[in-house]
Amino acid sequence: MATHALNPAAVPAYRGGLYEWLTTTDHKKIGIMYVINSFLFFLIGGIFALLVRTELAAPGIQLFTNEHVYNEAFSIHATVMIFLFIIPMLAGLGNFAVPLMIGAPDMAFPRINALSFWMLPLGGILLLLGFLTPGGAAAAGWTSYPPLSEKGALASPGPGQDLWIVALILIGTSSILGGINFLVTIFKMRAPGMTLFRMPIMVWTMLVTSVLVVMATPVITSALVMLFIDRNYGGSFFNPATGGTAVLYQNVFWFYSHPAVYVMVLPAMGIISEVLPVFSRKPLFGYKAFIFATAGIGALGFSVWAHHMFTTGAVFLPFFSLMTFLIAVPTGVKMFNWVFTLFRGQLTFSTPLIFAIGFLTMFLIGGINGAFSASVPIDFALQDTYWVVAHLHYVLFGGSVFGVFAGLYYWFPKMTGRMLDEGLGKIHFVLMFVGFNLTFFPMHMLGIQGMPRRIADYASDAGWNDWNLLATIGGFTIAASILPFLWNVFVTLRNGKIAGDDPWEGNTLEWATSSPPPPYNFDRLPEIRSERPLFDARHGHLGHGGHGRRGDADAVPALAEGQHDSQGPTA
Amino acid sequence: MSTSPRKRPASEALVAGGVVVLLIAIIGLVFLSGAGSALYPPKAATIQAEEVSKLYNIVFAIAVAIFIAVEGLIVWSILRYRRRPDDVDLPPQTHGNNLVEALWTLIPTVIVLYLFAISWQTLNTVDYTSFANGQQPDIQIHVLAGQFQWQFEYLDSNGKHLATQTKPLGEGGGMAVPVGKKVYVTLSSGDVIHAWYVPRFLFKRDVIPGVTNHFEFTVDPTEAGQTFHGQCAELCGTGHNAMHFDVIAMTPADYDAWLAQLVVTANATQPPPPSGTPTLQLAAKNIQFEATDLTAPANSPFVIEFKNDDPATITHDVQIRDSSGAVLQTQDTIPGGSSANYQYTPLAAGTYTFFCSVHSNMTGTLTVK
Repeated sequence: MATHALNPAAVPAYRGGLYEWLTTTDHKKIGIMYVINSFLFFLIGGIFALLVRTELAAPGIQLFTNEHVYNEAFSIHATVMIFLFIIPMLAGLGNFAVPLMIGAPDMAFPRINALSFWMLPLGGILLLLGFLTPGGAAAAGWTSYPPLSEKGALASPGPGQDLWIVALILIGTSSILGGINFLVTIFKMRAPGMTLFRMPIMVWTMLVTSVLVVMATPVITSALVMLFIDRNYGGSFFNPATGGTAVLYQNVFWFYSHPAVYVMVLPAMGIISEVLPVFSRKPLFGYKAFIFATAGIGALGFSVWAHHMFTTGAVFLPFFSLMTFLIAVPTGVKMFNWVFTLFRGQLTFSTPLIFAIGFLTMFLIGGINGAFSASVPIDFALQDTYWVVAHLHYVLFGGSVFGVFAGLYYWFPKMTGRMLDEGLGKIHFVLMFVGFNLTFFPMHMLGIQGMPRRIADYASDAGWNDWNLLATIGGFTIAASILPFLWNVFVTLRNGKIAGDDPWEGNTLEWATSSPPPPYNFDRLPEIRSERPLFDARHGHLGHGGHGRRGDADAVPALAEGQHDSQGPTA
Repeated sequence: MSTSPRKRPASEALVAGGVVVLLIAIIGLVFLSGAGSALYPPKAATIQAEEVSKLYNIVFAIAVAIFIAVEGLIVWSILRYRRRPDDVDLPPQTHGNNLVEALWTLIPTVIVLYLFAISWQTLNTVDYTSFANGQQPDIQIHVLAGQFQWQFEYLDSNGKHLATQTKPLGEGGGMAVPVGKKVYVTLSSGDVIHAWYVPRFLFKRDVIPGVTNHFEFTVDPTEAGQTFHGQCAELCGTGHNAMHFDVIAMTPADYDAWLAQLVVTANATQPPPPSGTPTLQLAAKNIQFEATDLTAPANSPFVIEFKNDDPATITHDVQIRDSSGAVLQTQDTIPGGSSANYQYTPLAAGTYTFFCSVHSNMTGTLTVK
């Protein structure tokens, strides 16, 4: 039997209870804490979204005492969702899955890993503390363009904006540390046989994501530091009134924040690239092309930032327009890879697959409506309207969030050892899918008909009432969809079906150990001869040779079916 | 165990295909019924917007075609390739196909290059300015944006000041332009970033402090007499949602008369108040009145000596309303850095509210006794 025996004694066992969770350096526990923390912020960000949608349900100022509070609500909604939910949620799922998927016992730097996590709740609390300060929380939008975010009496005089800056610097530092940790882990800690082109796509997307994080995050940190100096130490980087340049901030901000879109969507693409093959019983169609497309998106992602600034009159329009159009090509390659993975497969519609298909159908719209904004003249009409709000939510909610839930349903059995209920999962999906489209599709109409984003109120004769009411109804439907999910987690943790090592007939190494895995992850590893080592162990050479071009012809079964015994001690 | 080619009843393909056709039909019906027309831009009001509208139609047609093709393939796959109880053997383990992968890389590349090319062509129309091409525009207007009002300064052909339209919307304010004429607009802001946006022009441009942006448009001659709603599109603070303006399209003759009237009004000197008229002092700074309690004599005309200490782009006035909210006396707004002697007619004894018509947060109590 060709397995690699490992030495469990080399790794300490878990300690008990709360003390363990507070002091752990175990990547799985840190990953789970990332997920829980991010989910709590998802709920907080969602409440702000509901407040915004409630205010916009009808013309007039009803819910908020004045427009300033409304501005706080949408600013904090976006900041929380981007920096405290999607980015760390995906980093958390990566934290849990990546070492398992490459057959490593932990991340390369376990203590730095713990530090990266603990900076997140700290940053989040600082951000929300803004509500207790005079003037309230940051209210200049998640982009916080100066001069509005500067300190002047007519801009953002209160300390809420400073707390926003400090929180984002903390969260950014957490991202950079995490990115370096992922890079070192992926390059240095792969199991024998796990060559780069046998790595699961999830690991590849985390690799490219980490490169983006490490290269781009220091840039926004510099913008934030400059803004902080402007506000507190008499600097004049961005304030034209004192000789600064307002557009400079936008360049530096988007140099990070556009690649950040890929930080938010590439790992979700990685998740569904794991889910679709497993539930189709087929390999990912075009594995290597998918990897090159991922790398291509990462590289092109650094040359499109100014498409957020077409209307400033301060950027070279044809270049950024061309680059933005071109980025559709590798993205389209991926879309076809996914669809052709389903094509002629044997699909089992478990909840992870349903959410992954939700990703496909919605991200497609988010890609197509992005092409309108890549066209500069059309962007002149659409920029800063609700069209953009629709577009970004089709990418980040229809794409990333559906991907996140696919990942949560997929790995929940590995994290906890128990299976989430399929029926509740499907109720969750249907409500969320319907609610999502009700909320965000009408925003296309609102945007093209002229409703600007970030307005607290609109005229009752503008013709926007019905679409806005529909969007608000959709928003509450999304909120309702979270309840069956929470109930599902609650009842499953108390009394769920035992998952076993490999409930989905998975392809990748995390399914070769117990659920949940022992502290050191693996007692033994199967041979790794392709990107689907467990498939090889289950089906032998059947996946290769004869039916396609990319398999390793010499792949041999490593573990006969039913023999992948990996009953490590469970926590 | 072996992989096997699929043996599927033909009826399943019929069902799957039928559902795909049905979905396409539903999408088609939505468009034909008119609900889909909300996805098209509003009627273009300028010759530039007309070009953007045509471009939009092309992009939209391609987008719908791609959407139906890919979404149809997804729906087909999930209906057709469900795993059935007798599916024990693996499906064919297809790892890829060089030909189709090359095709779905090359064809989208051609499509996006085409989209880029036609977008660039349209951009040349939208971004055209007379000055950049050695010509003279017909009309020059300098737009000043400030929290939270627009002012429109009319310039002569040499760029010299003629008159500034400072009135807020609803009190005769707005940006009048002649139809069929090349209108060259420069934009400047004195505080934060704003954006000049008129939905029916399918156009917006940021108004950035420290930078003067410019653009040119020509209103379609058939639109004479129309008013186009415009609004700030870049978050600019508390009153962002209330920063509206109108573009009023006039025949050239009407426009000339309107501008002449504006010049007369702007240059008119107000008759001084009769000597001995009670005078109150009031100043505004940082979008706040510096006093929130004023007292005036009953049944007597009075004057408020009003000083606007904000930046030049921020305008204020001092109007009076009664406790029911009915506006009793209006005044013209003045830009920052200037002052005015507002004259009011006699009021009966009582308590009134004075307020700035531009900034809803600026109010105070006027006690008349």
